[in-house]
Amino acid sequence: MANGWSIFIGLAIIVAMCVAAWIFSPKGENQVLWRSSLILSFVSCYLMWAITFLAQLHPLIEPRRSDLRAKYIEHS
Amino acid sequence: MAPDTPFRSAEMSMVQLYISNEIGREVVNALGELGLVQFRDLNGDISAFQRAFTQEIRRLDNVERQLRYFYAQMEKAGIPLRKLDLDVDTLAAPTTSEIDELSERSQSLEQRISQLNDSYETLKKREVELTEWRWVLREAGGFFDRAHGNVEEIRASTDNDDAPLLQDVEQHNQAADVDRSFSGMNIGFVAGVIARDRVGAFERILWRTLRGNLYMNQSEIPEPLIDPSTNESVSKNVFVIFAHGKEILAKIRKISESMGAEVYNVDENSDLRRDQIHEVNARLNDVQNVLRNTQQTLDAELTQISRSLSAWMILIGKEKAVYNTLNLFSYDKARRTLIAEGWCPRNDLPLIRSTLQDVTNRAGLSVPTIINEIRTNKTPPTYLKTNKFTEAFQTIVNAYGTATYREVNPALPVIVTFPFLFAVMFGDFGHACIMLSAALAMIYWEKPLRKVTFELFAMVYYGRYIALVMASFSVFTGLIYNDVFSKSFTFFPSAWKWDVPEGYVEGQSIRAVLKEPNGYRYPFGLDYRWHDSENDLLFSNSYKMKMSIILGWAHMTYSLCFSYINAKYFNKKIDIFGNFIPGMIFFQSIFGYLVVCIIYKWSVDWFAIGVSPPGLLNMLIYMFLQPGTLDMRLYKGQEVVQVGLLLLAFAQVPILLFLKPFYLRWEHNRARAHGYRGIGERSRVSALDEDDEDDGHMNGNGRHSTESGEGVAMITQDIEEEHEEFDFGEVMIHQVIHTIEFCLNCVSHTASYLRLWALSLAHQQLSAVLWSMTMAPALASTGIGGALYLVAAFFMFFTLSCIILIIMEGVSAMLHSLRLAWVESFSKFAEFAGWPFAPFSFKQMLEESEDLKEYIG
Repeated sequence: MANGWSIFIGLAIIVAMCVAAWIFSPKGENQVLWRSSLILSFVSCYLMWAITFLAQLHPLIEPRRSDLRAKYIEHS
Repeated sequence: MAPDTPFRSAEMSMVQLYISNEIGREVVNALGELGLVQFRDLNGDISAFQRAFTQEIRRLDNVERQLRYFYAQMEKAGIPLRKLDLDVDTLAAPTTSEIDELSERSQSLEQRISQLNDSYETLKKREVELTEWRWVLREAGGFFDRAHGNVEEIRASTDNDDAPLLQDVEQHNQAADVDRSFSGMNIGFVAGVIARDRVGAFERILWRTLRGNLYMNQSEIPEPLIDPSTNESVSKNVFVIFAHGKEILAKIRKISESMGAEVYNVDENSDLRRDQIHEVNARLNDVQNVLRNTQQTLDAELTQISRSLSAWMILIGKEKAVYNTLNLFSYDKARRTLIAEGWCPRNDLPLIRSTLQDVTNRAGLSVPTIINEIRTNKTPPTYLKTNKFTEAFQTIVNAYGTATYREVNPALPVIVTFPFLFAVMFGDFGHACIMLSAALAMIYWEKPLRKVTFELFAMVYYGRYIALVMASFSVFTGLIYNDVFSKSFTFFPSAWKWDVPEGYVEGQSIRAVLKEPNGYRYPFGLDYRWHDSENDLLFSNSYKMKMSIILGWAHMTYSLCFSYINAKYFNKKIDIFGNFIPGMIFFQSIFGYLVVCIIYKWSVDWFAIGVSPPGLLNMLIYMFLQPGTLDMRLYKGQEVVQVGLLLLAFAQVPILLFLKPFYLRWEHNRARAHGYRGIGERSRVSALDEDDEDDGHMNGNGRHSTESGEGVAMITQDIEEEHEEFDFGEVMIHQVIHTIEFCLNCVSHTASYLRLWALSLAHQQLSAVLWSMTMAPALASTGIGGALYLVAAFFMFFTLSCIILIIMEGVSAMLHSLRLAWVESFSKFAEFAGWPFAPFSFKQMLEESEDLKEYIG
């Protein structure tokens, strides 16, 4: 779960959502408003998620800290 | 015909109305209610005083003045005004006779009220006089009673020049002969009332002019008296002056009058004086009764008025607006018709037609009102329809400028991009939730909150839908950043585990390792293992910086695409080939390439292939400074690709510079060669000169035989362009500026998006600091003291969170996001050369009018 392929799975979901938004936007003079806003929101959110995911996919550094209690480490 | 969408401004038509003179007022009234027509001034050369309906406007001004007088009187009397709630009360359009009636009524009311006021004032004055007289009688009576005992001694002092001026009065208080009077000694007196602050001057003047030949006695009136003319309370003194000789007495009277003192008639005889006091008291009672009645009548009258004053005020305001509009029309004396011209949305023409038809039918007129669409080469106004959701977004775009007629409405992408970029900077789940609840509350109690007049709140309320979208996106970005009041969620298992060495002691530095080096990653947002680690800034800075660049690139590319849509819509092929395509290639070959590199670098497992990862910043710098050489390799064949892209980018510069100006020159010259000349006709199309309309038709059909709706917009555009003589130098300079600006902006605007990183970093760090200074020590303390400390600390934490992190940081993030919309995005596609559509609308007039504000609830 949640390896590199997630990006493409997420993309597929977002494309499906965009298509759905295009089709199911209520008719009328505000249709363009619905379509533009929904699709743009989906794409922006996907972009942000994908960037965050990609940045952690092959990390070049690892978290480091020296203030942990021994007990806490055992639990985690 | 396509409906008007928020995508572009509505298509406008110039219309000409022929209105029968009798129903001019009704027609304008109906159109004002509709609020869809912007009338043009057809009498530009006539001054405001010479126009046809100036008389009516003057009359209405007078009525308005009277109504304001009533309002002032009501405020003076402390009678509250019943404000008009436009949502509840609807005012039917008044007929002329109703307005006349109102005008007459307010005339008579004004007379009545001013009469009542006058009589009230007279009575009040009378009351004060009587009160003063009563005081004089009372006080002066005291003097006389005391003085009669001393007549002998006074006489002695006047008869005998040697008598000492000052002698102890009580020593000679023996021979009290009441029957002897002052008149017997030829001593007269003047009694009256004077303001206390003038007493000193009064005494001095009397002393000097009469050379001391007087005896003055005075006493203070304990209660302050009210001056009826100024309504101020004044403290006064009663005085009695004794002197001899008629002339001296006359002099004293004159001096008293000139000093503003009131002289009252007081009788010497105590019996008569008693009668006088009775009489004065009786009269005072009467006056007070009448005064009370007058006051009541006045109040009743004003209360009556207060019920309908707001409605009258609004009716008169509307009526005035109608006549002001009628003054814009031109009057055809021969046919007794009014001719009006104006802009209206083409899609609303049927509605306007039916409204006009209704008015004609209602008036029972056989002559219909004619509405004609006319062709013109004038640029139509930009009319962007809004609803309550888009209104605030449209306002922040209009604050920058008015979009050109029919160009892509910049507000459409702003509805998402502005709140989203805000959220990237404001990413904290906790703060976002507080903001979201505030926005939802404002929307849920939309109606009651609309009446709040506190300015700061009204501003926030106006932007409640922006706040809603901003907060919703912030909830999302807060989840992505995994920040909630600087703490983190642990929704999913972390991809990291701590690599604990044997014999770990607290304080020893440990590092995390991936649980599955090639498998599981934290699926949504930032892994919480990074939180509070020593090197989390190192990671999040790199991540947020790269994200800023990618989001900026996406935002700018998206915006640039609108310039293609604009060029295509206006059928300007040269803008596509001369501006859009080279610009896009230039931008993508540098910054598109950077974005590709960022994503590529992320997708490669550098440790697995055993290569050290290259720095992208250095790569971009070397790409420009030393094309063909590499600092560290990112992929095979990188040099060739980079040199190729660089050449491609620089090849676009001459295309950007020269293609459009030379194409325009070629087109111009070709037209010349075919014998076309610029049409040197006036741009004014007006009913005043009949031929102009035909002129307009000729323009429309001359070169471009387009009858479709879209065609008209183009014609306008073309003719406008041809209007100015083609000047190659000017076009060239314009294009050079555009090119330089575009190329430099590509760099500076991309850098500008780094503010996303900077502000989100600042927000996150600030909230971490706030937590560590308030909640962290409080949570660490124990016992009852600790509990109290926690309560206090939470109060601090919450207040400061709201004030600093939500309001202050929110405003700052909003301003930065606004700048990204205005500068970075709009400069890519929007021209902002339009002028706003300002229709004649009662609704708008009432909303914007400062005078009527206090009458509308």
